[in-house]
Amino acid sequence: MSTTFIISLLLGLSIAGYFFGYRRSITLASPIGGVKNLHSRPAYYGMLVALWCGLPTFIIFLVWQSLEPSIISSLMIADLPLDYQNLPKNQLGLIINDIKNLATGNIVAGEKNAIMHAAANHYVQLQILSKWIKGGALLVLGLITLIIVCRRITPEQRARNHVEKIIRIVLFCCSTIAILTTLGIILSVLFESIRFFKAVPITDFLFGLKWSPQTAIRADQVGSSGAFGAVPVFIGTMMISAIALFIAVPIGLMSAIYLSEYAGKKFRTIAKPLLEILAGIPTVVYGFFAALSVAPFIRQTGGLLGLDVSSESALAAGLVMGIMIIPFVSSLSDDVINAVPQSLRDGSYALGATRSETIRNVVVPAALPGIIGGILLAASRAIGETMIVVMAAGLSARLTANPLETVTTITVQIVTLLVGDQEFDSPKTLAAFALGLLLFVATLILNVIALVVVRKYREQYE
Amino acid sequence: MLKKTAALAAAAIIAVSAGTASAARDYINIVGSSTVYPFATVVAEQFGKTTHFKTPKIESTGSGGGMKLFCAGVGVEHPDITNASRRIKKSEFDKCQGNGVTDILEVKIGYDGIVLANSKKSSPMKLSRKDIFLALAKDIPDPSGAEKLIPNPHQTWHDVNPALPNIKIEVLGPPPTSGTRDAFVELVMEGGGKKIGWIKAMKKKDKKAYKRICHTVREDGAYIEAGENDNLIVQKLNANPNAIGIFGFSFLDQNSDVIQGSIVDGVEPTFEAIADGQYPVSRPLYFYAKKAHIGMVPGLSEYLNEFSSEKAWGEEGYLTDRGMIPMPDSERKQMRNDVKTLRNLEM
Amino acid sequence: MQKNNSVIGQERIQKKLKQRYRAEKRFRRLGLFAVITALSFLAILLISISSKGYTAFQQTYIKLEIPLSHEILDVKNLANADYPGLVKASLRQMFPDVKGRRDKRKLYGLVSTGAAFELQDRIIEDPTLIGEKISMWVPASSDVDMFMKGQIPKNVSENERRIKDNEIEWIDWLQQEERIEKRFNTVFFTAGDSRDPELSGIRGALSGSIFTLFITLLLSFPIGAATAVYLEEFAPKNKWTDLIEVNINNLAAVPSIVFGLLGLAVFINFFGLPRSVPLVGGLVLTLMTLPTIIIAGRAALKAVPPSIREAALGVGASPMQTVLHHVLPLAMPGMLTGTIIGMAQALGETAPLLMIGMVAFIVDVPGSFTDPSTVLPVQIFLWADSPERGFMERTSAAIMVLLVFLITMNAVAIFLRKRFERRW
Repeated sequence: MSTTFIISLLLGLSIAGYFFGYRRSITLASPIGGVKNLHSRPAYYGMLVALWCGLPTFIIFLVWQSLEPSIISSLMIADLPLDYQNLPKNQLGLIINDIKNLATGNIVAGEKNAIMHAAANHYVQLQILSKWIKGGALLVLGLITLIIVCRRITPEQRARNHVEKIIRIVLFCCSTIAILTTLGIILSVLFESIRFFKAVPITDFLFGLKWSPQTAIRADQVGSSGAFGAVPVFIGTMMISAIALFIAVPIGLMSAIYLSEYAGKKFRTIAKPLLEILAGIPTVVYGFFAALSVAPFIRQTGGLLGLDVSSESALAAGLVMGIMIIPFVSSLSDDVINAVPQSLRDGSYALGATRSETIRNVVVPAALPGIIGGILLAASRAIGETMIVVMAAGLSARLTANPLETVTTITVQIVTLLVGDQEFDSPKTLAAFALGLLLFVATLILNVIALVVVRKYREQYE
Repeated sequence: MLKKTAALAAAAIIAVSAGTASAARDYINIVGSSTVYPFATVVAEQFGKTTHFKTPKIESTGSGGGMKLFCAGVGVEHPDITNASRRIKKSEFDKCQGNGVTDILEVKIGYDGIVLANSKKSSPMKLSRKDIFLALAKDIPDPSGAEKLIPNPHQTWHDVNPALPNIKIEVLGPPPTSGTRDAFVELVMEGGGKKIGWIKAMKKKDKKAYKRICHTVREDGAYIEAGENDNLIVQKLNANPNAIGIFGFSFLDQNSDVIQGSIVDGVEPTFEAIADGQYPVSRPLYFYAKKAHIGMVPGLSEYLNEFSSEKAWGEEGYLTDRGMIPMPDSERKQMRNDVKTLRNLEM
Repeated sequence: MQKNNSVIGQERIQKKLKQRYRAEKRFRRLGLFAVITALSFLAILLISISSKGYTAFQQTYIKLEIPLSHEILDVKNLANADYPGLVKASLRQMFPDVKGRRDKRKLYGLVSTGAAFELQDRIIEDPTLIGEKISMWVPASSDVDMFMKGQIPKNVSENERRIKDNEIEWIDWLQQEERIEKRFNTVFFTAGDSRDPELSGIRGALSGSIFTLFITLLLSFPIGAATAVYLEEFAPKNKWTDLIEVNINNLAAVPSIVFGLLGLAVFINFFGLPRSVPLVGGLVLTLMTLPTIIIAGRAALKAVPPSIREAALGVGASPMQTVLHHVLPLAMPGMLTGTIIGMAQALGETAPLLMIGMVAFIVDVPGSFTDPSTVLPVQIFLWADSPERGFMERTSAAIMVLLVFLITMNAVAIFLRKRFERRW
């Protein structure tokens, strides 16, 4: 009895329950003058039976499924000879892996002794047994609930209200997942960060001017000094984001103004989706573009002008990131510009203002809060952007205001600290979580301000 | 109704996968050095394509990072093999022992030269190890000759040695998790430090201080830790003709059309010069396997056989095509024997 | 006097007016310039990538005559025969003048190591071939391929190119004999990752992406739709609902890499799910795309006019019936559009997947949700960092494939929106 079979069995049972409930309500209705005298429509009686028979069995099935492997393993271990059981835990784990490989008919490493074959057989038997018991038990349970719920159907029963209540609960549970996600993010990042702050004082982290996290990973190695001051990393992030905004805000804003105030319908329908493609291009593609096309180009141009440009200049990463966030700025600005009431424009035209004067003196000031909100959201996007900077920005954290030099960002450091090394005991790896916390808090503040501003603005004109 | 069935099906999938998540592992899990990564992946691919076993999964974590994962314990959730571009250290070995990884098979697979290379767009550098030490150490001896240290003041190669060109010192090299870094500081930096009389004398008196002087790399931006990815360094060198990169010979070999090796102590890094030991900076490459996993993880012993076969690591083997320098015949024979008998590593 | 004054005034106004019109024109041009700049960025990006990548859809093949002697191929032990030896012997036969270790190695380097695998597959499939002499087209090595595609220039000095003079002679000879040609590159679509550019393909990464997206779609659409319905139609207006709302809006703007940290800490370290598998990738991407889907879903529900609800309630439908029978079907196209856009976002996402280890060297094409695998954008990231010159065009080609998928998805979304858009 395979798992898919059990699932289809339960599904079939539910569907059968639906029809039984449906039929039963109709039989009940005929002596009292037809369906119109039931409290709910027959479909609701059917649904009620289906839900009662499907949901509990399904929940039990899930629980069973998640517990089954460990229970079967421990049962099998209990039947192994004592000298196997007394092996250290990790060696026992290996033997169990082997037995499982043997049992699933997988490629097996080498010669196997009789004990392991026996254990594998035992394991297979246990699995089959468990499947039969599970299938049988669930079937019986489903049938029992089906019969009970079916028999309790009466013409007065408030089946619809009952069903709707269940659906409502399910809907509510779904909506809490968003909260759980945030909670998960906060807890997972916070716990590791607290462990990090035990090793490195929080003031050192927030105000330290030196970032050099590659500490020695062995006792007899000389690594770097292990300074965890986040200021250079933060400044680098800010610099790249600032360059990006410097590109994206004028272009995005002017595009939005042109598209919403000047462009003809045809131009608009073509240009707008094209602009939005920029937002849809994966960031890894931008990274590739930045590292292979833009960075060498900037370097060469700088060379011609006699400037010393680093091969991973903040400028290259910032420029490409700016291209990426143009559509964020333009589409958000577009929305708010369109939301400015026509009456304001008409008033301005009536006073003899030209279109551009109207836009500059009336529309943009009226839309300003919304535009600022959009820019803040774009900024938060730029701060959190990862792939472009991983591929095109550098790793050395230095305090500089020169966009032609290499800087590093929070996201780059998180990736370099975490990829590969999966141990959770050195400040080096934990630092990544502290940076993650910093990133989360920074973007949270930006987002909340932006959302509040945009909301206030919307209310103003609605 | 449609929505509910969809939700039901979704939950079903989760249940099914939750069930299989704890299933057995049937592929080899390898971690470790980025220098050995290109060789290991080639062997893994050959192994996967010529046998009925699954192709091993290889993550490039650096020698140190790999050791750490490898020594975390015995069992399917831990890797079977770690690649290293240096020998396992006593401290790592002890950690392994402490975590129950007692029986380890050590296999030396060949040699790799450490090269300093720059873009072909500029002229090749002629360096001595002392030059490199003076350019990259955090603290260097006072130029006036007094026996004390000053923070490294050198900004250009010309400052280090008047014979060198007047360009900024910009060296892209690996971080401490990398075996290339370990080998670099031991062979080049220490080799250069030794050239200075009073530092050499210190080795006997105060070994720790001696090591600290020789092994500490400056952190003011002249030495840039470029991550585990040697490929990225090559690309960056191509973009920046003034920069010098530190990596394994195989990367120079693969990219000989865009970068050139610097001459170190008068010897050019070529296949032949590294193989016969003339080139001063070459190091052996290793991998370590858990003996407890052999016979438990499908294909592991076959993978060991593949790696130690003549067609892989021999003079004409496919690993030499990738730039690995093979061991002499006698050493290969001995290693092959070690693999066959699963000789235990002792320290 | 008065007249004079008004003339001067009119002149001034005229002058000012001209200035104002000029400013108007300037402003307008500035706007157009901005749009054109943004669009030309897009054009540059697409052109620079496709000009690098289009060559990867072709691959150079070389025709070899291979005698299959009984001495080398033992029918009972076909798995362990020396297939590379056969390929090498065939090459030596074609160029008998090549002597010396270095030159011979170069000669063997003309064809890919994959030639031996293809030969092996062919013989194991049909052992009756043994004893005959077969001719077969095998992939050329990446260097030869690059040379044939003109990416290695002939006119530079010998030590600055990877293909040397004698190799060029051999290739010329092969061309004369019509033993070398470029064909459509099927390997690129049927193989997994490889260390050799000529043997590498995107199928492994593509299947990984499909498995991952399947999980994401399966979870995020029902949950997203349910949340949108609850928040828009049923939720009481209280602190708790406000919290959920602020939360969702914030989650939509949380950097994707933070979701990767969550996945690492919760799914891998806490629940002990394996690293590098599509199941975990799908879960992480679900959490990431949920806000997008919820926000789009709510907008779609909001767009359904209240008159529909009132009419339904007026004829006696319960609130749940109103929503499920009338509002939801009308909002469905909008919800689907949002879902497709969310899926497109998930397909292009890289950063969170780096955190959960989907960044290893994986050759085998994954076959289930729990096989180690990588996804298309991560494969692009890995190839972009590979030193072999051949991977440059593969990376660009993989990007082109990814963009085709994304643009198709977005086009479908736009089409849906246009097709089912209703003006109330």
